[in-house]
Amino acid sequence: MAQDENTSQFQRGINKTTRSLFIFTSLWVLSTALLTFGPQFWWHFDRLSTALAAIVNVVAGIVMIRAFFNHLQSMDELQQRTHLEAMALTLGVTMIFTVFYGSFPTAQILETTYPSVILVVMSLTYITAVISLWLKRTRE
Amino acid sequence: MNNRLKILRAERSWTQANLAECLGVTRQTINAIEKGKYDPSLPLAFKIAALFGVPIEAIFSPDGE
Repeated sequence: MAQDENTSQFQRGINKTTRSLFIFTSLWVLSTALLTFGPQFWWHFDRLSTALAAIVNVVAGIVMIRAFFNHLQSMDELQQRTHLEAMALTLGVTMIFTVFYGSFPTAQILETTYPSVILVVMSLTYITAVISLWLKRTRE
Repeated sequence: MNNRLKILRAERSWTQANLAECLGVTRQTINAIEKGKYDPSLPLAFKIAALFGVPIEAIFSPDGE
């Protein structure tokens, strides 16, 4: 069977996009930290520096999304389907949770809400969905 | 959808990993197809048929046939 070429091509592809995704996600996290803590601790609320940090953060975010898209395209079709279904589920859960959580201050359940809570719910939903959908189809 | 992938693979003494490597997919995808938990796309089904050198309908058939 002539498999070595195909193997390495598929594996190389997915390894490469995983590496890129890791690098660009790390850069985005770093740029987010810079934008969050920089004004207070490094440049004492200088507007130009904050604007630059914001631009870097947005650009890093766009590059990260592109890296994720490339990663998705390098997957095989079952992996792609699993991730796309997990994303659909995550979108629904996030929408419902955002409305629910967003109503807390109005209903006087909480004084303030934090966007990071929504990110945590989103991440946990996505991770749980990917793992459970993958195991459902591939468990031996 | 039913398929004869496992039989055809066994006839050639190929492992799931061998087949997955030839098709450029993961071994888990081959396992899911063999167990009927996942129906492959048309391009992948044609790729499988070409690899085994048989018509696509010799491997895949609708449920109940």
